[in-house]
Amino acid sequence: MLPFLLTSGLTTGALYAMVAIGLVLVYRSTGHINFSHGELFMLGGFFAYSLIMFAGLPYVVALFLAVILSFLLGVISDRLVYRPLIKAPGLTMVLATVGFSYLLKGIGRYFWGGKGEYLSIPAIVDPAPIFINDIPILPQQLIVLGAAVAFMVAFALFFSRTKAGKIMQATSENPTASYLVGIRVENVYTWTWGVGAAVAGAAAVLMTPLTLITPDIGATLLIKAFAATILGGLGSMTGAVVGGFAVGLIEQLASGYIDTSLQEIAAFLVIMVVLVFRPAGLFGVYGQRRA
Amino acid sequence: MKRRILDLGALALVGGLFLQGPAKAEVGVTDTEILIGALGVLTGPLYHNGKTIYDGVESVYNEVNAAGGIHGRKIRYVREDDVCKPDQAVPAAKKLIHEHKVFMIHGGGCSNASLAAMPEIVQAKIPWVITASTAPQLTDPVNPMIFTTMLAGWMETEGQLQRAIDLGAKKIAIVKQKDAWADSRYKPLLDSMKARNITPVADEELSPDPTDATAVALKLKTSGADAVIGVLFPKAATVLMRDMYKIGYRPIVVGGSAISDLKAMDQSIGIAGSLDKFEALAPTKHPDDPSVAKWKDVVKKHYPSDTFMTWHLFGVASGEFMVAALKKAGKDLTRESLAKALSDLSVESAAYPGPMTCKPDNHQCYRSMAWFSLRGGEVKQVGVTHLK
Repeated sequence: MLPFLLTSGLTTGALYAMVAIGLVLVYRSTGHINFSHGELFMLGGFFAYSLIMFAGLPYVVALFLAVILSFLLGVISDRLVYRPLIKAPGLTMVLATVGFSYLLKGIGRYFWGGKGEYLSIPAIVDPAPIFINDIPILPQQLIVLGAAVAFMVAFALFFSRTKAGKIMQATSENPTASYLVGIRVENVYTWTWGVGAAVAGAAAVLMTPLTLITPDIGATLLIKAFAATILGGLGSMTGAVVGGFAVGLIEQLASGYIDTSLQEIAAFLVIMVVLVFRPAGLFGVYGQRRA
Repeated sequence: MKRRILDLGALALVGGLFLQGPAKAEVGVTDTEILIGALGVLTGPLYHNGKTIYDGVESVYNEVNAAGGIHGRKIRYVREDDVCKPDQAVPAAKKLIHEHKVFMIHGGGCSNASLAAMPEIVQAKIPWVITASTAPQLTDPVNPMIFTTMLAGWMETEGQLQRAIDLGAKKIAIVKQKDAWADSRYKPLLDSMKARNITPVADEELSPDPTDATAVALKLKTSGADAVIGVLFPKAATVLMRDMYKIGYRPIVVGGSAISDLKAMDQSIGIAGSLDKFEALAPTKHPDDPSVAKWKDVVKKHYPSDTFMTWHLFGVASGEFMVAALKKAGKDLTRESLAKALSDLSVESAAYPGPMTCKPDNHQCYRSMAWFSLRGGEVKQVGVTHLK
């Protein structure tokens, strides 16, 4: 049973990691946790659903268009919601993201609600399981797994090796100082919200064949992804991915070896214990936002 | 003298009539309108269930209204959101009763929410016809004002167990999702199994909104169960069926009424043959059954964005039942006259495979179920069970 559970834990964890990466991206650049990230994921999935099922576009084309639409949604959210609050206290911004999540959920329900108990899009590859050393894996799960690692590496390099990445981190660390050295903080934030939403959209397109999608899926995934980021260390891209895998593995092992009723809560119990001994998470540094 | 006494008597009679005044107007009823309240989930993860049920009910009412109403009165249907949560159900019921001042309540989907709202509704002494809540406590013991047009939870699981046995199962396992809806079915299922001297070989839990069910599937496979009774919503059932197929485990799986769209399940899994041994019960006929085509068109007319499904048919059947009851209650409509009409009523609806029959001592008015499975990519009715 163990190889099955480990495989399943890693593939499930990759789902959480994909969502967690978007959360960390926005946090590292703006210093805010985007509580509407789950709903951005949800709308990204519905964009893809409409592009594939109604417009009849191929999966890959739909993926790119859904990512672009999600990016635009993120930019619009910045211009309409977040930029007016740029100098407001952090709590105000938190509430703004929560409020925006409800707006997005309402949009999801209005346009995609009432069409079924849940919606899905076809997998990018044959959905029949393949076997690696007699362990069955759904091919789409491998794609999500690969994408999670690729996103993690890409964004880690972006933040550490590129000027744009360093500018984004600088605005997060000290917006006032960033202004003084000529950084257009507003524009950085606009790009950040846009890219964060695009990441959510990309994750949604890859994950929807596995998770299925409803207008209310955002909260469910957000809480798992949030747990992953806390466990990994808030602000750490590596931590988000490792945290996601950890949450997935803990869920599967607890469910398989202890009791299936523990699947939903086991990860949170472990996180509580971890945070008692390491408050900044596995890859976080206490007192700093970034690993 | 005699004449004077007669005059005084006539005066007293006329005076008495004037003092009595006109007949007491019933709350929520005017000469032109009957105000009916819907209590159900309109937001949250299960909002879709509530919306489609009440769209079905209101489609019936809209048609009746278009045809002139009932005894000259049009029905106005107001919806309040219980969020499928007990703490939200109570204020929602209060709002319907005291703010909207409805004549009756026609709704109730989530059992936990309906049970929480029940004391408010009982205290207000207003009729309540339940559309989809399945908790047996709502109608047992009998309350003179409360009726249901939905199967009780124990009936579904009793039917599921019977179906598994009929299909030849020897080792039966249970998978339930973790919520009050499933809990209301779980204990009756255990009771039914105990009554037949059957011990489940596995008894597992799954989230209502899972992303993976591999661990549950592995435990079921290890148990050697040849049949699994699923007390699950569609998403959980879909993920479970996918992951059971993934690990090469293909027992008979008997699902409940919540799983209403087998084609959607099949398309979501996308693996041919993954639902070959899956059956689900429905209190209703299939949405593609020719006998419900009329209602499919009606719902489409009023709610163009809805995809017609079983949840609509719950509402349609219950709506037809209510219309028959309101007609039977007569023009002098009161809450008492409606309750009396409801307590001895039998209605056939195109939406249901059996009649809805209420008796004074039994307000659980519906007891039939049909079984569906995918055959050659199409949903086919493969059996009907009538419970006594």
